[in-house]
Amino acid sequence: MSYHKKDDEHDRNPFTHLEKTTVLQEARSFNEMPINARKCIIILTKILCLVHQGETFGTREATETFFSMTKLFQHKNVALRRMVYLCIKAMSTISEDVIMVTSSLMKDMNSKDDIYRGPAIRALCTVADGTTLQSLERFLKQAIVDRNVSVSSSALVSSLHLLSKGQDVVRRWVNEVQQAANNSTGMAQYHALGLLYHIKQRDRLAVQKLVATQMRNPALSSPFAYCLLIRYASKVLDQDPDGSVNEDIFAFLERCLRHKNEMVVYEAARAIVSVKNVTSRQIAPAVAVLQVFLGSPRPVLRFAAVRTLNKVSITHPNALKSCVLDMETLITDSNRSVATLAITTLLKTGTESSVDRLMKQISSFMHEITDEFKIVVVEAIRALCLKFPQKYPVLMNFLSSTLRDEGGFEYKRAIVKTITSIVENVKEAKETGLAQLCEYIEDCEYPALLTSILDMLGTQGPTTSHPHKYIRFIYNRLILENSVVRAAAVDALTKFGQHCEGVRQSVVIILRRCMLDSDDEVRDRVMFALSILEGGPAADITHMMLTESETEYVVKCTKHAFAEHIVFEYSVTNTLNDQILENAQVVMEGGEQEIDADDVIMIPAPKIEYDQTVSSFVAFPSDPTVGAQTFETRLDFLVRDVDPDTQEVAEDSYEDTYALEDVDLEFADFMQAVSKPNFSSAWSAMQGVAEEADTFNLEAIKSLQDAARNIPSFLGMATCEKSNVVPEDATRHTLFLSGVFVGNIPVLAVAKLAFDQGVSMELAVRSENEDLCTLILQSVA
Amino acid sequence: MFEWFDRFIDWLKSLFWKEEMELTLVGLQNSGKSTFVDVIASGKYNEDMLPTVGFNMRKVTKGNVTIKLWDIGGQPRFRSMWERYCRGVQVILYMVDSADTEKLEASKQELKSLLEKPHLAGIPVLVLGNKNDLPKALQADELIQALGLKDIQDREVCCYSISCKSKVNLDITLKWIMQHAKAS
Repeated sequence: MSYHKKDDEHDRNPFTHLEKTTVLQEARSFNEMPINARKCIIILTKILCLVHQGETFGTREATETFFSMTKLFQHKNVALRRMVYLCIKAMSTISEDVIMVTSSLMKDMNSKDDIYRGPAIRALCTVADGTTLQSLERFLKQAIVDRNVSVSSSALVSSLHLLSKGQDVVRRWVNEVQQAANNSTGMAQYHALGLLYHIKQRDRLAVQKLVATQMRNPALSSPFAYCLLIRYASKVLDQDPDGSVNEDIFAFLERCLRHKNEMVVYEAARAIVSVKNVTSRQIAPAVAVLQVFLGSPRPVLRFAAVRTLNKVSITHPNALKSCVLDMETLITDSNRSVATLAITTLLKTGTESSVDRLMKQISSFMHEITDEFKIVVVEAIRALCLKFPQKYPVLMNFLSSTLRDEGGFEYKRAIVKTITSIVENVKEAKETGLAQLCEYIEDCEYPALLTSILDMLGTQGPTTSHPHKYIRFIYNRLILENSVVRAAAVDALTKFGQHCEGVRQSVVIILRRCMLDSDDEVRDRVMFALSILEGGPAADITHMMLTESETEYVVKCTKHAFAEHIVFEYSVTNTLNDQILENAQVVMEGGEQEIDADDVIMIPAPKIEYDQTVSSFVAFPSDPTVGAQTFETRLDFLVRDVDPDTQEVAEDSYEDTYALEDVDLEFADFMQAVSKPNFSSAWSAMQGVAEEADTFNLEAIKSLQDAARNIPSFLGMATCEKSNVVPEDATRHTLFLSGVFVGNIPVLAVAKLAFDQGVSMELAVRSENEDLCTLILQSVA
Repeated sequence: MFEWFDRFIDWLKSLFWKEEMELTLVGLQNSGKSTFVDVIASGKYNEDMLPTVGFNMRKVTKGNVTIKLWDIGGQPRFRSMWERYCRGVQVILYMVDSADTEKLEASKQELKSLLEKPHLAGIPVLVLGNKNDLPKALQADELIQALGLKDIQDREVCCYSISCKSKVNLDITLKWIMQHAKAS
């Protein structure tokens, strides 16, 4: 800190506040005779600064400057010449006609002076276009195998850049590149290996072969090339875990663990511990070298080692037993990043008795580390709390203090996620965690976190000992926050109202006050919530479009299921500005159900003007026992033409008919999906009432995941206890389903699924109504 | 470290006997511009040349004069850039292939439009009819006629018939150039 301050006061950087126009004005002196090298170097530096600071140049001014710059070519001042090369590269994308410098750069690239050849090649490749590249090919191939390392390196790196422009020419140089990889030394070897890989990377077998050959290359000497090869080798392992090269690569990686360069050793160790499905025995030598690095006097090595071991602690906690002592000494490391990683690694590997000490240690410098590392700490705590649930008081205490601290979104999200997962998994910590979150939402600036906390309060709150405690916090959100958060708050309150008799009346009162909310979505949710909580007649609402959205008339069907009747509401939108529709009635025909014509009630939309939506209704007695049925529908109406310019309405009208999509009436339409937060207690509470069970083979369903998606939606019931999530490799699964049938009859069901070639289901249904249980089983069959 | 010393020497030199001049060499492609530069600078004639992509700059020292020679590519896409490199020079050299009669009209038009540029007003032009070793090559007076050089009134114009290959008339060309260095 003090260093920067000093910098600010005394040693002001002359290039921080450059004016583009002034600099470009100065660039005119490039044309002067004779050239003043010192002055020109400073101006070129300023131009480079401007470009790299993101200053935008107009094409004209950039081109003007570029051409002035070409006047500086061939100067005998080395520094000036190299600055010119740099500026050409920087301006190559913003100036026009940069091709002008091609011949001059080609001359430099083939000059006797090695000091100019490398930079000239690099500049040349940035200005070359497709046609000039052809004529450059011969020279670039020569340069790749040049004896001078800087020339060869420059050619290789430039080729890599050309390759990314999609130039197929570079692929033809693979023999020269190969030669450079085998014969050169130092940087060129590293660059050649990189280029070879990029040329071959789309061909998996070629990459495998490249890695296999290079692993045996006795001339491979550059530590950078070794690191690169180790990375490519791990990629080969990753993509082909059972391949034949597997053993060779492992042997190579272990050989690298004994390399004399620390960077290579570290890279090899990291590669070994990150191999998929690696065994503890296989990583032991890698862990051993990382352990040695833990005691290194160089902070960067300690950091690298502890960071890698931190990752190992997730997959192989037992493999780190031997490192515990070394990591203990790093707890007080002056580098806080090293200390944080050491502590979190110890938290993951350590015993219950060490938790308190480690937590105390980390609290002491939590405020000194960055968010990124704070997240590492928080995630370690999550794992710890699930491992040692008895330790929740000290951990929750820590989390609550972090929640109050300053921090960015990612950090706060990690804390909230951790508390959520503890609340869900550690019963004793539940009320403490919820209380902390409630306190946090009173002063939380992130809507995304607020909504997820509200959702979680709605799910967990109703089953606590004092649900009413949480209502106040949620109510405050309804008053203070934006519409997204308010909508989430309405949902959370609804869940309290549904599941806790004691607070239902207060929830209804609060929700009524929100009926005039300024936001549509919030109002819709309030209406929906009230209709559920006040036990209104509407049991279920489903929407479907009966026309394409861009047609003359847009018709949407909404089904309302009542205890005795089913009502189809057809909202019709007129999108023609030259017609008025009158007496528009949707007519339904077909279906399995026998209905007396006198029992059908039809209400037409009397008049629909342009851009208006009016509803027409059809209602008849409902009979869920019929099962799924389909009705053909059409829209009958009178048309009265309108002149769109004068709005004059014709006196005559004529009849017309518009065909609509079929309307289905399914079992699910009679059921409302209502979740139970504590399914097992609800299920036992229903013991003794009607229960029916049967077993089915579900031929149309291919997997358990499929079943978990389709069965709830077929029955129109909600899945409880997160049973909608099926683990990937499961062969058995149980769905807990809950719903309310028309007439306000609660229904619960347990579906035991098994997968063996096909999916079979044992479905047990409980409700007060025996007939209903039978009906549900029938509907599935 | 020795930079100031070098600069001092340079300054001394320029004070007594060094002169520097800048000239630009243009003309249609394949007329022999880059060959001319090579011959002037090193005395070597090279049959196998690559087309110049863009420009080349060469410094040539003759006696106490250092000449900065800008050799600009003659392909159509570089012709619009000729003017930029002709601005502020002491002399413009215009190279013509005197044996390629088909291209003479195009050469005449390019010269005309170049000399019309206001920035280049008054700069002396030396037209060189290269390749006079070839049998069909035009002589200097024929070239003056074909390129309409007599019509140019606003500046000094001179025309020589030369051959880079057999090194004919290069001495008088250089002499003409040096005279203009002294004049500046």
